[in-house]
Amino acid sequence: MAFNTFDEIINMKGHGIYVWLVYSISILIIVVSFTITRMRIKNICKRININNASG
Amino acid sequence: MYPYLLFIGITTLMIGWIWGVLYAPEDSQQGNSYRIIFLHVPASIFAQTIYYFMSICALMHIVWRVKLAAYLIKSAAPIGAMITFIALFSGSIWGIPTWGTWWQWDARITSTLILFIMYLGILTLHGSFSNLEKADRLMSILVIVGVVNLPIIKKSVDWWSTLHQPASISTSGSSIDPSMLIPLLISIIGLGFTLISLGILSSRLYILKREKNKKWVLEHV
Repeated sequence: MAFNTFDEIINMKGHGIYVWLVYSISILIIVVSFTITRMRIKNICKRININNASG
Repeated sequence: MYPYLLFIGITTLMIGWIWGVLYAPEDSQQGNSYRIIFLHVPASIFAQTIYYFMSICALMHIVWRVKLAAYLIKSAAPIGAMITFIALFSGSIWGIPTWGTWWQWDARITSTLILFIMYLGILTLHGSFSNLEKADRLMSILVIVGVVNLPIIKKSVDWWSTLHQPASISTSGSSIDPSMLIPLLISIIGLGFTLISLGILSSRLYILKREKNKKWVLEHV
């Protein structure tokens, strides 16, 4: 490990803010992309099923 | 297929990132800010790779009229836009402690911004036609036109020596120490698998959307 304490991990000698900001925002963007796509697939399947049943 | 790829992707990505961010040694010049590399470089690589993939699909659509190829372009473009945004964003934040500025009209940065705008333009163009076959065709043409930008991005750091540093990894060797290079390569592989699984999901969505009235779709869902 390049760091000794938890504070060092968070702070990274002053660069922690940049590193953690970049990783957290990017992970959030990727997770949201997966969630939105999965939700939209679910919705469209539901709609197709409804149309199929009524038609 | 999709859950396995996603599992491989996330696991590999986590190994690469945890190794890179917590265990790799500090950089002697940049300090800890360099740890952004484990996200910035993989994101930038796939920002371009996705466009290469789309241009092959565009060629297939134009030459052989493969319908699926156009569907794949339409499904890949939002992912390309997303990952190009991440590349630009991570580079900007990295620039603050390293270059003292978050933006510079440097050749590499500007050509990557153009790539981002291309992705958005491709999606907007496709969305602006009610005739979807026509939209597919014009979108493919725009993708082919945009290919010009790719060698510019690649060569920008060699042709114009501005702020952005030249490539750290190439086929002829690497200027990075193995202690940093190995987690970087693992991160690249991990992000690759993650994006492929997102691509499968995204194309599944778009195929369902386009073919929702077809019989095979009704049987599938």
